[in-house]
Amino acid sequence: MAVTEKDRKANSALGSLQALTAAALILPGLVPAQAAEDNEFSFQYGRYEESRRDLGGVKSQFDPITVDSLHTSARVRLTDRIKFAFNYIQDTWSGATPISTAPSTREGNQPYDVGTVAGASPWLYSGNGNGKVYFDDQRRPVRTIRRDNGLGFGFDELIAAGLDNRNVHTMSIASPEVRKEGNFNLTYEWDDATVSAGGGLSLENDYESRFANLGFTIDFNQKTTTLSGGLSYANSSTSARLDHDAQTYISKNAYNGQLPEFQPRYAKVISNPIPGTDDSEEILRGKREDWAVNMGLTQVVTKSSLAKFGASYTRSTGYMGNPYKAVTAFFLRPVTAGLMSRDCDTQGTVAGPGLGAADCGEGIAYEGQAKAFLEQRPEVRNQWSFNTGWVQYIDPLDAALHFDYRFYHDDWGINAHTFEADWVQPLGSGWSMTPRVRYYSQSEADFYVPFLVADVSNENGADRLGSDNSKLPTQTFSSDHRLSGYGALSGGVTVSKQFTKGVRFDAGFEYYTHQGSLKIGGGGEPDYADFDYWVANGSVSVEFSAIGRSLTDHDHHHHHDMTEHEPLMPAGLMCVGGHMLNQEGDFMVGYVYQYLRETGNMLNRTSKASDAAMVNNGYRTIPTFHDMHMHMIDLMYAPTDWFNIMVMPMFMDMDMDLRVLDGINGDVTTDHLHGGHQTGGIGDTLMFGMFKLFKHRGHHINLGLGISAPTGDVGIKLNRQHQEDAGFIHYQMQLGSGTWDFLPSLTYLGQYDRFSWGAQANATVRMQNRNDSGYRLGNMFQASAWGGYSIFNWLSGSVRGVYTVEGSIQGEFNPVPGAAGCTDPITNGAILCSNVNPTSSTLDDPRNYGGRFWDVGFGLNVVVPGGEFSGNHLSVEWLQPVHEDVNGFQLERKGTLFATWSYMF
Amino acid sequence: MIVRSMNSSIKHKPWPLLMLGLSLLQGCAAVQPWERGVLAKPQMALERTPLQSELRGHSYGSREAAGAGSSASGGGCGCY
Repeated sequence: MAVTEKDRKANSALGSLQALTAAALILPGLVPAQAAEDNEFSFQYGRYEESRRDLGGVKSQFDPITVDSLHTSARVRLTDRIKFAFNYIQDTWSGATPISTAPSTREGNQPYDVGTVAGASPWLYSGNGNGKVYFDDQRRPVRTIRRDNGLGFGFDELIAAGLDNRNVHTMSIASPEVRKEGNFNLTYEWDDATVSAGGGLSLENDYESRFANLGFTIDFNQKTTTLSGGLSYANSSTSARLDHDAQTYISKNAYNGQLPEFQPRYAKVISNPIPGTDDSEEILRGKREDWAVNMGLTQVVTKSSLAKFGASYTRSTGYMGNPYKAVTAFFLRPVTAGLMSRDCDTQGTVAGPGLGAADCGEGIAYEGQAKAFLEQRPEVRNQWSFNTGWVQYIDPLDAALHFDYRFYHDDWGINAHTFEADWVQPLGSGWSMTPRVRYYSQSEADFYVPFLVADVSNENGADRLGSDNSKLPTQTFSSDHRLSGYGALSGGVTVSKQFTKGVRFDAGFEYYTHQGSLKIGGGGEPDYADFDYWVANGSVSVEFSAIGRSLTDHDHHHHHDMTEHEPLMPAGLMCVGGHMLNQEGDFMVGYVYQYLRETGNMLNRTSKASDAAMVNNGYRTIPTFHDMHMHMIDLMYAPTDWFNIMVMPMFMDMDMDLRVLDGINGDVTTDHLHGGHQTGGIGDTLMFGMFKLFKHRGHHINLGLGISAPTGDVGIKLNRQHQEDAGFIHYQMQLGSGTWDFLPSLTYLGQYDRFSWGAQANATVRMQNRNDSGYRLGNMFQASAWGGYSIFNWLSGSVRGVYTVEGSIQGEFNPVPGAAGCTDPITNGAILCSNVNPTSSTLDDPRNYGGRFWDVGFGLNVVVPGGEFSGNHLSVEWLQPVHEDVNGFQLERKGTLFATWSYMF
Repeated sequence: MIVRSMNSSIKHKPWPLLMLGLSLLQGCAAVQPWERGVLAKPQMALERTPLQSELRGHSYGSREAAGAGSSASGGGCGCY
C-alpha cells in the first residue's frame, strides 16, 4: 500500500511532535536488546532440585541431581551509541542420574553394602541375576519364577511369568562439579537500527565451549516493526574422565580404535596410566561445532497488542553424545528346553525353592546377557525452529497476557511443540505477580532405545567386553530419556517488586513434571522414566545511574558534623563489618568478590616440610593447590544514623588437587586421586548490626556485632569409587562452618585532608561445640591497621598490615559406615566398615588447620563523585602473605584478592 | 550463496518480496507514536526478567531435546 501525498503531508506536519514523543515512547522491550536498562547490575541465585527416580522398589541412597546457579550481569552505556554487557554464570551440580536402562529383571540397582540396606550400586553386567534376563520366542523380556519340576527338591525349572514390561534405570552418582561461563556483548546503536557482536567461554572439567555471535535489529514503519537477525558459532570440546567403577563394564570398542570401521570421526577414548598405580583412567575426547542463524520480526498490531515471529536453523557437527551414558544390549542365546537340561542358570533373588541351574521351562526361549555400550549418536544434526507469539494488554486489569508457541524439528527425528502463557499482573506500589504455565511435547529420536537386543548367538556371554559393536542391530543408539518421546507440564509464579530508586527484586518458582503419558498423541516412554523437578530463583537488579549518592558527595553530607561521611576502608574489610552509611534512610547494595589461592610448598610451622617428614607423620597425599572463590552480596540499610543493619549472603566454589607423597607404600587407588575435587554452593550468611559509638571532626569509632548463620553445607561427601565408599570430603572443601558464629568488631577511622587511616580488631567465635558433621572450626582473631592517601578526588590508595590468629579444628568428622573392603577377622567375609572417612591427606587431619598469619594489603578505591554514575564505589585489595606460622602441615598461601562494588542510594 | 546458485530470472526476487512484505505490515502500523503508552508499560515488555529466563531456559535445555535452536552458545554439556 503506497503512502499517499495526503499521508505524507500529515506526517510532516506531525514531525516535530513525533520527534518528541518517539524519544519518550520508544518501546521498552520491543526487542530484547532494548529491554535492559542502560546501566544496570543484576545478581541472581537459582536452585534446581530433581525428584527421586522410581527404581522399581529399590531405594537408592544417592540424592538426586541438584544445581546451584549464580548469575551476575552488568550493562553499561559506554557512549551515546555504544552499550556493553557482561555476564558471569556459575553452576555447581551433584547427584545421581540414570546411566543406563534395562528390564527390571536385570536388577541393575543392587543394595551394595553388607548387613543393612544403605543404597544401590549400578550394575551393568552382573548383579544378583548375573546380568541375565530371559526372553520369550518373540525376543521380549519376561519375568521368571522357579518351581519344582516334579522330580523333587533341587530339580527346579524356570518358567515365564508374564512379560517384563517394566524398565528400570541404573543410577550413578557424580561428585560436585562446577561450570563457569563469561560472556559479553557490544551493541552500536543508530536511531533505527543496531548491530551487535558478542562472545564468551564456558568451562567445565569435562567440557569447554567457546562461542561468538553477530546480530542486528532494524526498526521500520515508525518503529512499529522490528526486524532482527543473528549468526552464531560455538566450538566445544569434551574431555571426560569415564567413571572408574563403570569403565570395565562398558564397551568402548567403537571409540578406542579397536573397531576402525565403527570409529566415530569426532570422538575417541584414550587410556592414561594413573601415576603410582597399575591402574589407568579412560578419557573420552570429542569435538563439536554449532552454527546457527535466526531471524525475527516484532510487529505492533494495535495500541494494546504485539505479535512476533521467528525462525532459526542450527547445524551441529561432531560428538554430541553424553560420555556418561551407556546403552544396555542383550546378547541372546537360545536355551535348551526340557527335563534335566539344566540350561537356565539362575541365582540370587529369583523366587523358588532351590538355587543354581534349573531346567528351562515354558515361555523361555532365550537367555539374554546384559552388556553395556557407550552411547553412539549421529555426528550431524540439523535443527529448525519456528516460533510465534502474541502480547495482549488486558485493560480492565492493567495486565498483560503473553502467549508463545514454538515448533521444533530436527533430522534426528524429533518434532517438538512448546506452548507457553504468562499473565503479568501489576499489583500496585511497584509489586507485580506473573503466573505462568508451559507445556512441551516431543517425539523420540530415531535412534532412541531403552535397551538393545542383539542378534542370536551361541556365545553370548563369557567375556563382558568381548562382544563387539558389529553384533549390535544398529550403530547409533542412546537410551538417554531426553531423546525419548514424552511431554512436560510446568507452572510457576514470579513476584517482583520495583523500588522507586531503581532497585528491583524478583523471586520465581517453577515446578516441572516430565511424563511419557503427557506426549501429544500418546505413545510416550512408559512411566519408569518420569521425573519432576523444581527450580527457584531470587534476584536483585540495580539501575545504578538512577539516583545514586556519592560517598564523597560533600554537598549532601557536610552540613554539620552529625552527617559527616566516613573515610573509605580497604576492600578486604568490606565483609567483616565496620563501615557505616552516612545518614538515616540510606541504602547500600554491594558485591564483594574474594579469591584465595594456596599452592607451592607444604609448611610445618614456619618452615618447608619435606615429603619424608609428612610420610613419617602417617600422611599419604598432600594438596598441590587450593583455590577458593567467594561471591558475596552486601545489603545495608541505615534505620537511624547511629545504627545500621547489614546482611551478606554468599556463594562460593572451591577447586583443588592432590598428589601422592614420595616414599609411601602400597596401592594409591583408594587415595581419591581423581583429577581433583570441586565443591560449590551457598556459603554461610552473615548478619551485622553496626553502632556508631563516636564521631567527631574526622574521627569515627564503630562497633559491629555480627552473626554467621550456618547456611553453608558441611556434609559434602566424596562419591563412591572403586566400589568403595569414601565419607566426607576434606574440611577445607566444605562450604561453611556448620556452627552459629559470633562476629564482633571494633573499628576506628580517621581522616585529615587527603590522608585517612584506621584500625580494626575483629573476631569469629564459634558458639557451638560441634556442627552436624561432628567438628567445629577454630576461633579466629584478626587485627588490621592501615593508612590511605587520596590521589585524586575519585581515587585513593591504601596500605594495610594484618595479623590473624586462628585455632585448629576441634573434634572430627562423624564416622561414616560404608563398604570399603573391610573383612570379618574370624570368617574373613566382607563386612561393613565402621568408618570410611578419608585419612590419608594432610587436609583430613583436624590438627592441620589454623595458625598465625601476617599479611600486607595494597588497595585502591575508586569513588564516582558525581554525574551519571554517582553513588558507585569500586575497590580492590591484594593481600600478600609475609609470614606464616601454621598449625601442623599446611599448604603455603599465595595471596588473597578482594574486589568490591557498592552503590549507595 | 543461495541466490548465486539460482537462475537469473529469480535472482532479484527475494528483496522485492521482502519490501512488499514490510510495506504490507505498514498497513497494520496505524498505531501512532503518541498512542503507544500502553505498549510502553513494563508488563508488555517481551523480556521482563532476562536472568530468570536464562535460568529456566538452561533447565529446559539440559532436559529437553529441543533445547537448542535459536543460537549457538556455550550452555555447557548438561551431562547430568
